[in-house]
Amino acid sequence: MSWIKEGDLNLLEKISANVLKAGPMPKHVAFIMDGNRRFARKKNLERQEGHMQGFNKLAETLRWCKHLNIPEVTVYAFSIENFKRNKEEVDGLMELAKQKFERLLEERENLEKHGVCIRVLGDLNMLPLDLQEIIAKAVVTTREHNKCFLNVCFAYTSRYEITNAVREMAWGVEEGLIRASDVSEALLSECLYSNNSPNPDLLIRTSGEVRLSDFLLWQTSHSCLVFQSVLWPEYSFWNLCEAILQYQLNHKSIQKARDLHREHQALQQLEADRACVAEHLQHHGNGKPVDAQRRQEALLHYTDCREERVQDFLEALKHKRDSFFNDLCSEAISA
Amino acid sequence: MPLLYSLLWRFLLVLVHVNRAIVSWLRVRLRSWKGRLWERAVAALLLPFALTGFPDHQKKLNHNSDANATPVTGNRTDSRRLRWLSDGKSLEKLPVHIGLLVAEEEPSYTDIANLVVWCMAVGISYVSVYDNHGIFRKNNSRLLEEIIKQQQELLGVEGSKYGVEFLSNGTDKHVVSCRPTVKVLSPEDGKQRIVQVAQQLCRSVENKEKSSKDISVSMLDILLRESKNVPDPDLVVKFGPVDSTLGFLPWHIRLTEFISLPSHRNISYEDLFGALQQYSVCQQRLGQ
Repeated sequence: MSWIKEGDLNLLEKISANVLKAGPMPKHVAFIMDGNRRFARKKNLERQEGHMQGFNKLAETLRWCKHLNIPEVTVYAFSIENFKRNKEEVDGLMELAKQKFERLLEERENLEKHGVCIRVLGDLNMLPLDLQEIIAKAVVTTREHNKCFLNVCFAYTSRYEITNAVREMAWGVEEGLIRASDVSEALLSECLYSNNSPNPDLLIRTSGEVRLSDFLLWQTSHSCLVFQSVLWPEYSFWNLCEAILQYQLNHKSIQKARDLHREHQALQQLEADRACVAEHLQHHGNGKPVDAQRRQEALLHYTDCREERVQDFLEALKHKRDSFFNDLCSEAISA
Repeated sequence: MPLLYSLLWRFLLVLVHVNRAIVSWLRVRLRSWKGRLWERAVAALLLPFALTGFPDHQKKLNHNSDANATPVTGNRTDSRRLRWLSDGKSLEKLPVHIGLLVAEEEPSYTDIANLVVWCMAVGISYVSVYDNHGIFRKNNSRLLEEIIKQQQELLGVEGSKYGVEFLSNGTDKHVVSCRPTVKVLSPEDGKQRIVQVAQQLCRSVENKEKSSKDISVSMLDILLRESKNVPDPDLVVKFGPVDSTLGFLPWHIRLTEFISLPSHRNISYEDLFGALQQYSVCQQRLGQ
């Protein structure tokens, strides 16, 4: 089964898609594709076959998303917690992933035609080296594509991602690129694996479970959460439409909550900058009172400097991450 | 053509709203009807129509009539307290820490206080109250007063011995330190708290006390837990029409179950107990 499914929607689907598209549409949808194993048990199939069908459903869902003008999709493929499953199943999943990423490389031209960019979020170091290399190749080949984006969370948990972001910021401090006082909510977001994507508008979990299971906890704090009882391999176009309709019903109130949060965040940053400037002036002002104008100038100057520091740091971080993939790729070629 | 589609879309939205209104109206009506058969029949009819994101539970309907059938003898508050306690024990599992997420404007303090008291009465040790405007945090003392008042009203003098400990950001006043614990949360306890911890860690890296490589998930977890050993919430009951966590403690809701109720206004004990029943049958596999 390939990653890209060609084909149009049928008439009824097309009309429904157009009706939905008259309302606000999510730009980024995240999926917890739960229920492959229960599906296999229900249909008396091998567990691996359940995972296979789950993957096929993903390809189909991507096609629907394309027709619904949803440019970005993030899926939870493999959690760090999943390493706890029995060896046979973990090996099977690794093998499946290897096959699928190899297949993806074969479909390179098709991906280019549709402009699909694949990103893998997670700690690749936890995976077998051959899988790491194939993933790196897939990521590097599709890096420049910019029409649709598929983020695959692999060897991922959200807590690990947040911890890793803190570690990266601490690295920046060690390298002298940023100061501890530069750490902010916005900067932390930029250090997550998902830094290239906007936050998901809609998160869908299938199979009736009503929890997030350590998936995108930071990014979905103002997303619409939809829990559906259908098992993932049985997911249909109409299930997706229902979820989108739910998003549309929630759209206004969530937008309001987001705006409130953004305001709050800006205020927080301003306060932090003010505190730093006040401290600086106290140290260098020899205790003399500082008039309002000078204080304002100092604040502007400080903000500029901070932004510059943060920019430099983010550039260095991006370089570090890119070269991780590049190195893996060239290793694979030389091997 | 686009005009037609947008008309159709509006029509669809109205349809869903009307459907929701009918469902919630009927739910209220159902509560006042005694006939069990009726409830079951209508509930079965409604089930396929209910377009709600967080699955609601129908069990509460059944429980309702059981509760009404219990004879009230002797001291009302006493028997009520015992009933709630035995309700809590009758469940297969009870959350240790419950979060009450109010996603509605203009919260009603009395209803929230009732919810908190019920949670404590069935035997839940930690109750967190959250709203994304930080209203409860700002009016901390008003909520506390209301809780103490409702506690006396619902559980009688005996019941007040439960005592309430108020925690907010670990620095505010502590009232009586004895379980159960009520915590008032705001967005500041969520992402902002994580940022504070990150800053703290970076500062110790700046002072060469730590290396960036030392930072681990468990280290962050310990710092985010603060001194109190409060477990992560097992269950969040969300009130209101918005299907989102609205910034509720992102770090701590990794394994939290979310159950949604339409509103916290005029909420009854049976509504809450229905949510607890739903939680008690959930199974967690922890990656397995």
